Amino acid sequence: MSKVVVIGAGFSGHTAALYLGTKLGRKHDVTVISNRDVFGYVPSWVWVGIGHMKPEKTIFKLKPIYNKKHVKFVHAAAKEIHPDAGDQYVIGEEIGTGKEVRLDYDYLVIAPGPLLNFAGTPGLGPENGFTHSICSLPHALKARDAYLALCDRMAKGEQVKIVIGTGHPGATCQGAAFEYIVNVHKDLVKRGLRDKADILWLSNEPALGDLGVNGVQIKRNGHMLVSEEFIRSVFKDHGIRYQVQTGVTKVEEGKIHWQNYEGEEGTTDFDFAMLIPQFKGQPFKYIGKDGSDISSKLVNPAGFVLVDGKYGLTYPELAQTPEAWPAKYNNPSYPNVYSAGIAFAPPGPISKPFTNKNNLVIAPAPPRTGMVSGMVGRVVAMNIIDAVEGREPSHSERMTEMVAACVASMGDSLWDGNAVTIVMRPVVPDRKKYTNEYGRDLFVSHLEMGLSGAWMKYMLHYTFIWKFKANPGWTLIPE
Amino acid sequence: MEQEFSKSEKFWMNFKLYQLWRFIVLNLKVYTVAVQSKRR
Repeated sequence: MSKVVVIGAGFSGHTAALYLGTKLGRKHDVTVISNRDVFGYVPSWVWVGIGHMKPEKTIFKLKPIYNKKHVKFVHAAAKEIHPDAGDQYVIGEEIGTGKEVRLDYDYLVIAPGPLLNFAGTPGLGPENGFTHSICSLPHALKARDAYLALCDRMAKGEQVKIVIGTGHPGATCQGAAFEYIVNVHKDLVKRGLRDKADILWLSNEPALGDLGVNGVQIKRNGHMLVSEEFIRSVFKDHGIRYQVQTGVTKVEEGKIHWQNYEGEEGTTDFDFAMLIPQFKGQPFKYIGKDGSDISSKLVNPAGFVLVDGKYGLTYPELAQTPEAWPAKYNNPSYPNVYSAGIAFAPPGPISKPFTNKNNLVIAPAPPRTGMVSGMVGRVVAMNIIDAVEGREPSHSERMTEMVAACVASMGDSLWDGNAVTIVMRPVVPDRKKYTNEYGRDLFVSHLEMGLSGAWMKYMLHYTFIWKFKANPGWTLIPE
Repeated sequence: MEQEFSKSEKFWMNFKLYQLWRFIVLNLKVYTVAVQSKRR
């Protein structure tokens, strides 16, 4: 009997656990260890953050789902990983009791999601800072309360300044921030308060619409349409100001400090700010058989798990080397240790990085959206299933091969809402296969805005919650 | 593309019947490309 342990139960960890449980759960030991006992449907937190969706609609308990799939669930925070052969185990601390738990494994999946590194920007974040976030459910709820209090102030006639974007020069997830800024705009229009707010998009993207993926490019009616023009049109239409090529360096009460590409330092005042923090890997301890710290064999300095990618290439080299992106997502030193979702270390950025004259690197990190995380979770699960059943792990999917579909909400009403539907192939440009200047399949790539997108966004919410609850037919729904 | 959406573009973005058609087309498109991943 093989033992498989999955750390984390987000999009990637939960997806891996469902496949592993379905295929191996009856004969083998599949265990999920997570510090949260609920699954959170992250894409809908943008609506929670403005009070348009109740938080309980975005979460459900994990244990009943795992019971059904023959997966054991341990509600504990993983602390240590001991990967050396012969005695491979994970140490965790049980939530509530603080009791130590030990989980032995033959195969390990590290998929705990990101560490929200608010400490990387002094003054950032809802706990020890002055800004908000929608990256976790408690944060989205705090953002909602602050936003609704702001609306009350506006209703009394006060003029306010709202800043939404990225809170660190190396932050990612610009798409979520984009959804939030447009939803805030739409909500204020509906409340009749839009004229009371000055809204600013503040981001580390090299260009508007970059979204951390080097932009989205499509061919429509024989003409090229790039996301930069598209987002600029949206912002102009909505009266949203924007400032890109900017890295936030510090936040004080009501004041954001930043540096831009030119090396200029400046400040922006705000009454309400939602800024995405830098993401880092979870700070697990990686301990060798002799008790030594073996982190350097498993993770990069930011704590992301090293997998089968080619690391250390310069940006121009990486841009020409699609095969540098990981395929099977296992660690070269410990091939039975896999990683999925935000946790694995990408070989470099997708968007062009920039270092200003003050040596500040302003570079969006590669986003790993729900679809990408789910796909990697499935690839990892399938490879472990192969290995457990005595086959050579045969599944692979690089981000330079992956298709990603993303629906960015721009107003949640089913009657007059709006959303941008984006389809990209591949997520990371492959300039060898697609010889156009963008390195993407311009036939498949798609960008469209309309009410149908708002319907899609709702449909995806309910469809994916159905899938993640492992209800009948869940495997038919693609990641 | 112009800097702002034209009246015609805005009309089609919220014209329910046309959007129902786009909803079907987009679903097919997204599903078709997403299932390709399942084959690897």
